[in-house]
Amino acid sequence: MGCFVSDEFFTIKNQMGILNAVALLGIAASGMAFVTFSGHMADLSVPAIMAFSGIVTVAALPLGVVAAVGLGIAAGMAIGALNGLVVGLFRANPILWTLAVAFFMEGFMRFTWSNNQIYPDTAPVTAGAAFIGLFRVTVGPVPLIVVVMLLLFALGQVVLTRTRFGVETRLVGSSPAAAKTTGINVQRVVFVDFLAASVAASVAGIFLTSMNKLGVFYLGKGYDFKCVTAVVIGGMMLSGGRGHMLGVLGGVLVIGLLSNIMTFLGINTFQQNIVTGIIFIAVVWIQQSHLRRQGKDFV
Amino acid sequence: MISSAVALRMEGVSKAYPGTLAVDAVDFEARVGEVHALMGENGAGKSTLMKMLAGSFCDYTGRIAINGKEVKLHSPALAKAHGVGMIYQELSLARPISIAENLLVGRLPSRFGFMLDRPAMMEEASRCLERVGLDLDPKTPVDAISQHEAQLVEVAKVLGNDPSILVMDEPTSALSRDETERLFAIMRKLKKAGLTIIYISHHLSEIFAVADRVTVLRDGQKIATRDVGAIAPSELVQMMVGEKIDEFYRRRTATVGRTVLKVRNLTRRGFFHDVSLHVKEGEIVGIAGLAGAGRTEVARSLCGLDPVDAGTVELDGRPLRQGSYEKAAGRGLYYLSEDRKRDGLFLRLSLRRNLLSALIAKNTTAGFHSDRRSGSTADAMIEELEIVAASPAADVGNLSGGNQQKALLGKWLAAEPRVLVLDEPTRGVDVKAKKKIHEAVIGLADRSKGIVLISSDLPELVGLSDRVVVMRTGRITGELSGEALNEESVLLAANGEREP
Repeated sequence: MGCFVSDEFFTIKNQMGILNAVALLGIAASGMAFVTFSGHMADLSVPAIMAFSGIVTVAALPLGVVAAVGLGIAAGMAIGALNGLVVGLFRANPILWTLAVAFFMEGFMRFTWSNNQIYPDTAPVTAGAAFIGLFRVTVGPVPLIVVVMLLLFALGQVVLTRTRFGVETRLVGSSPAAAKTTGINVQRVVFVDFLAASVAASVAGIFLTSMNKLGVFYLGKGYDFKCVTAVVIGGMMLSGGRGHMLGVLGGVLVIGLLSNIMTFLGINTFQQNIVTGIIFIAVVWIQQSHLRRQGKDFV
Repeated sequence: MISSAVALRMEGVSKAYPGTLAVDAVDFEARVGEVHALMGENGAGKSTLMKMLAGSFCDYTGRIAINGKEVKLHSPALAKAHGVGMIYQELSLARPISIAENLLVGRLPSRFGFMLDRPAMMEEASRCLERVGLDLDPKTPVDAISQHEAQLVEVAKVLGNDPSILVMDEPTSALSRDETERLFAIMRKLKKAGLTIIYISHHLSEIFAVADRVTVLRDGQKIATRDVGAIAPSELVQMMVGEKIDEFYRRRTATVGRTVLKVRNLTRRGFFHDVSLHVKEGEIVGIAGLAGAGRTEVARSLCGLDPVDAGTVELDGRPLRQGSYEKAAGRGLYYLSEDRKRDGLFLRLSLRRNLLSALIAKNTTAGFHSDRRSGSTADAMIEELEIVAASPAADVGNLSGGNQQKALLGKWLAAEPRVLVLDEPTRGVDVKAKKKIHEAVIGLADRSKGIVLISSDLPELVGLSDRVVVMRTGRITGELSGEALNEESVLLAANGEREP
């Protein structure tokens, strides 16, 4: 379809551009998929985790790039651990809880950094310069973020299908009550699922911060909904237990392609959001009616 | 007062699900003022036939006439409008709300068109309760009344819509003997008033106690309609299963070994007190008691699924950590849930996945999991338990009740338990599936596993158990075994009529 829109569509440059453009979304969605798969629909604190890990990384740059990135991921994981603990142990509603966490974190970041954007010191040969360069590193001809995204999806697929944790996540996603009487430590599984989402979101947040050359509370805005859309388009059931990682990668690429084509057509971002929203509604509707037709809308 | 007038006539009705013809050209007829029992094994098509009557399907074929008028029951609202009232096993009452509001939901009396008319509501609600012989304050929330009363409130609610045909699907499953008798008395009163009642039940004794005629279905087809007075129980069972079944229970002599499970003074305040029992290798220990005696609560707590306030549980001589079912399961103490749909099976996953779900830890090395380590375990279980499914990859949710229950047991058989706690292992399953499950349980005991059995099915409990511990209002009141163990003694002890 894209080839009708523009001659440039099929150029390697454009194709790589699409991959590059969806890489951040892909990285974040690869983690969110664990939450959806476990039957907890979505982690709406993903944008907050992205912004927070980015800010912490920038703030910690004086300690060196590696330490700063490590601290950034750890900061994001702290939020994920809290989510996992509260949703897993106390069975809080995942949507409401992560929404509250996102709200709290925005306030916390604005208060701590006085509502400011914080900039790394970008003088040459500093940690800041190296950090800024992170987003632009390439492995051969392929950008580092694309490599990271593909690695995370490959890893996610192996984890979901070949490890004890993955199989247990599938069971928990299908029926938490049955998983419990089967002897599965449901709380621990849910905890790790949210932790996985936060690691992926942190990595995406650090790349996003590197791309923007600044850390600020609103980075990552919109990634919550875009991630869920990608996961759902990728064939994962919002009710949990069904789907796979490669499908989610497909969902991410569909979103990337659509937005690329729409950009070629001159459709602006707001209109693109409308289209994405409509697609989300359509996919969820199809999933539901499919289940109902088969008489499988139990649970 | 059974007249020959026909209240309901279904002619050649069929309903197909993907892959199966659930109801296959059935003719069914119910007369005005009769209790008409509908019997059949699980998967015979009873529920589907009744759902058709309730307006759950818009794509059935065949003709339905109510009181001589042909109708199309393509939605629940249409069915209701044509005078069909349904009472399901699960009640449709809103728990925290008053009886009156539950009774009159959808037709609450109003003043000035928008204000709730409380006095009128209470008056109408009292009238409804009177019809089912309940003397309750309509202001009481449903939470505060017993299961039996709630069941009758449900009947009153459905009667409020003035049905001419009332369908009752296993209404006694949660009721005690006394309460069942009271329900039957009300049913007799209602049929005298000209109501047609279609009654679904697995309990033969109930059919003979309350029904006038019985229709038997098998594999989606009608086998026959007979007068209850002119048929023997064995004949009825024969029609249901379609083949001769041997004597159900054979006394086996258990070869018991060491004590494998020891429960001492287990207490959970408000549920049960000071419960002690032990199970030896190769032994089946039954827990008897009426509904509400605390059997399930004890079972769940001793496995670690629910908390306890005091007492200890030892498995193989080593104490179990309280409140940690994962730990208990890791050491081979498993709980088979009384409700397979709620917390037993993964309905949306395949039969194979379900059968292997308790083997995950076993099939994992260094974090990596592979079903292949189980080899042909799943296939072996399907064969051993004769689970009927299109393939091992079929969703468990699509299997019939009996096959689901077999799958649930198969999951634990595959895991080779040390002690298996069975909570109502054959609830709502057909005769053949029941037999298969019993064979598997006995086989497990013969392989030196310890078994705790909870069952409301008295012949099953007495027939399978080597010893029966009797519970009453949260306490163990005695133990029966050997010659002293029979249905009568268990029932009397459970009712507190006789010291065991």
